[in-house]
Amino acid sequence: MENNELFTVEGMTDEELFARVDHNSLDSEKITAPRYSYWRSVFRVFFKKKINIVILSVLAFVILFAYIYPVVTTYDRFSNLMDGSTKHLSPKAAIEKFGFSIKWILGTGASGQSTFDAIWNGSRISISLAFICAAINMTVGVLIGAIWGFSKKIDMFMMEVYNIVGNVPNILLISVLVLILSPSFWSMVFALTITGWLFIAYFIRTQVIIIRDREYNLASRCLGTPITRIATKNILPFMTSVIVTLLAVEIPSYISYEVFLAYIGMGMSDMSLGRLIYEAESAMVTPGWQFEFWSPVVIASIITVSLYVTGQNLGDASDPRTHM
Amino acid sequence: MAKYVLKRLIHGLISSFIVVAIVMIMIYSMLDKNLIFKADTVYTNYGNNEKVAYSFRKWEEYGYLDYITYNEYLLKLVVDGELDEDTRASVASFGKKPENDSEKVAEYVKKFNDYCAANGYTVVRLNAIMMNGKKYASGGQQQLFAYKDLPITNRLWTYVKNLIHVDNIHYVEKLTGTPLENQGLTFTLHDPVYGGQKFSPAIMGNGTYYKYLFYCDNKFPFVHQNLVKLQLGTSYAVNYGVDVFDTMTKTQGSYIMSTTTFPTGLTEESADDLHSATFVLGSRDANKINSDRFTDDYTNVSTIKAGKSKMGYSFTIGLIAMFLAYLIGLPMGLLMAKHKDKLIDKIGTVYIVFIIAVPSLAYIFLFKAIGGMCGLPTTFDMESTSKLIYALPIISLALPRIGDNMKWLRRYMIDQMNSDYVKFARSGGLTEGEIFRKHIMKNAAIPIVHGIPGAILGALVGAIITERVYTVPGAGNLLTIAINQYDNGVIVGVTLFYAVLSVVSIILGDVLISLVDPRISYSGKAR
Repeated sequence: MENNELFTVEGMTDEELFARVDHNSLDSEKITAPRYSYWRSVFRVFFKKKINIVILSVLAFVILFAYIYPVVTTYDRFSNLMDGSTKHLSPKAAIEKFGFSIKWILGTGASGQSTFDAIWNGSRISISLAFICAAINMTVGVLIGAIWGFSKKIDMFMMEVYNIVGNVPNILLISVLVLILSPSFWSMVFALTITGWLFIAYFIRTQVIIIRDREYNLASRCLGTPITRIATKNILPFMTSVIVTLLAVEIPSYISYEVFLAYIGMGMSDMSLGRLIYEAESAMVTPGWQFEFWSPVVIASIITVSLYVTGQNLGDASDPRTHM
Repeated sequence: MAKYVLKRLIHGLISSFIVVAIVMIMIYSMLDKNLIFKADTVYTNYGNNEKVAYSFRKWEEYGYLDYITYNEYLLKLVVDGELDEDTRASVASFGKKPENDSEKVAEYVKKFNDYCAANGYTVVRLNAIMMNGKKYASGGQQQLFAYKDLPITNRLWTYVKNLIHVDNIHYVEKLTGTPLENQGLTFTLHDPVYGGQKFSPAIMGNGTYYKYLFYCDNKFPFVHQNLVKLQLGTSYAVNYGVDVFDTMTKTQGSYIMSTTTFPTGLTEESADDLHSATFVLGSRDANKINSDRFTDDYTNVSTIKAGKSKMGYSFTIGLIAMFLAYLIGLPMGLLMAKHKDKLIDKIGTVYIVFIIAVPSLAYIFLFKAIGGMCGLPTTFDMESTSKLIYALPIISLALPRIGDNMKWLRRYMIDQMNSDYVKFARSGGLTEGEIFRKHIMKNAAIPIVHGIPGAILGALVGAIITERVYTVPGAGNLLTIAINQYDNGVIVGVTLFYAVLSVVSIILGDVLISLVDPRISYSGKAR
């Protein structure tokens, strides 16, 4: 036979060329395919775009700086209070007065404090507030929203709650709670989370209702899969990208909202970014002092924009349809 | 359809009143009552008993409790005819301590106590605080009064009951106990405000709260009424004694003077609006200015001012901003969807990210700074005749909404573009333009249309930051000002107003999409 001759190697016996493999029924059950990890694919897609790497490094830098810088430096707001010549200095004048240091590159504020230090201390408070509020609201909101979407009885009840609580002015609720409790960081967290989860839960509920009755879920239920497993194995993975996208909107929105509350005089007493902006508002209209106002505004914007863009792109990447 | 809308409306109104109840619990029960004195200089100046009495007086005015003094009780007895004026005068001053009361006074104090016990009041008697044997300490006069906390159900019921006020000719009778001599309504074809010559029909009341129940003038809508008035809640700190609805709708700014002939025949340059005259008991005799001008006790008039009302300013700015947002945002969103992933889509996305992610305060100040550099006025001056003062507030309001409209229309259009019917239409040979105009646009517009009533009614509410930054005298800041000044009446009134507006705008949105989209129907078996 021609074929046999083609595959025969000169001077080798069949025993040398072939080794016998034992048949293993267990091994034959295994499907060999490249290992698939969902999150690894998400990050592969995410890092494929160069812009994402840039934005993520900006975000990481800002967050790390906000947490590390205030720890390694000392900041006393009132250390220069008695010295009139240190107040409202432009960056140039501040560097001339104190000598060059990163502390003075944004000038000084109303009580001679370093604007740069004030901003990073404020950023740390604002970022912490945003992350804590988002963590609480998202956890509670997603869990309750999933149950809300599944049960028709709970839906009727929760819709009433939503219609009523949604119409209580948020500013009123926050100001009343802050007045009762004291304008501290944790009462602010409490005020922002006591009803905040409801709106997230409503959003999740709508998403759950949309995919709850899809054919594959009906089929799964017909096969006797318990509801909890349908929720965790069928529906939650489907919603990962939705939840990540929502998170991208939520986290920066708390920073913006805190700035807004501080501006209308209902914020907390800690020197957060919002409060810095609020206190520097009069400096905005005074020629030569604008730096005090614009620097916290710009930093707040950088933080919110980088958080938002990272989250949005991560949300896009976590949609399995983009993993092709 | 009508039945469905009515059902939703009633449901929504009930929800709104539950919201009001929650807000009432929050501000009356959860907040410390003493907060209202935080910025009150009168309170800090008072001492001892006077301070206590003052705080109870204030609490009554802010609606926390019902407060009645011994002397008010005696006056009430006189009005009811159980006591004559001389006896009242003799028993009005009570002793420094209960032991010092004369026998006659003690009898009436006991009566007061019994009356209070029967009506659920708590009696407080503060003994005089003396510096020495003769002299009172500052504010140390003896006090005798009673108070009663208002339960939430009671308060809510009174609020709902008084929400719509219909004027009637027995108003004065209820106030004084005796009807006016010529109580009743009169119809005239020649309104006396215009001198009694010009033809202008009006219905005037005597014994009513408002003097003019119906009248005509040269302002839109030309025929006005004072018969049925909405009472959302009386303001205390923000705008003393004026209802929230009036606070929002009354004109502001400088007076418009015109030659006015008062009922006595006195003619002078005045801004008084005689059509707004309301009854104030005994005001004509108490004040020379009033007795010179008016022939009866209908002396409380409002004034005509040149500016718009709070709501007027907010609505003007909000409505124009809304039009701009749809006029610019929708075509932009359309273009972005049509040229997906092209340059215009990318520029639009950058803009949307900027508007959503950057704190609103930041970009409003940015627009203010840019506008100021371009020479636009950055503060809103009601006296200014230039229309340019509206420019920056409108731009600040419109730009974020443009971003919002762009984002959503693009999203909806792209969702529609991937659907099967579009592929079918394309395979059927329709041109891309036709598919866009006739199929995708129509379907993508439905959720956009749903938001239009909300956007229009939302303009009535005003914008907090924009109005603050540009010092627009609009309605947006009413709630925050009321919260800062603890003006409970205004907080409750504004909350109800907001809640009803949001309920109505959602219902209107639902009705509107059922008109636009024939597939949506609220009646019949489909639901």
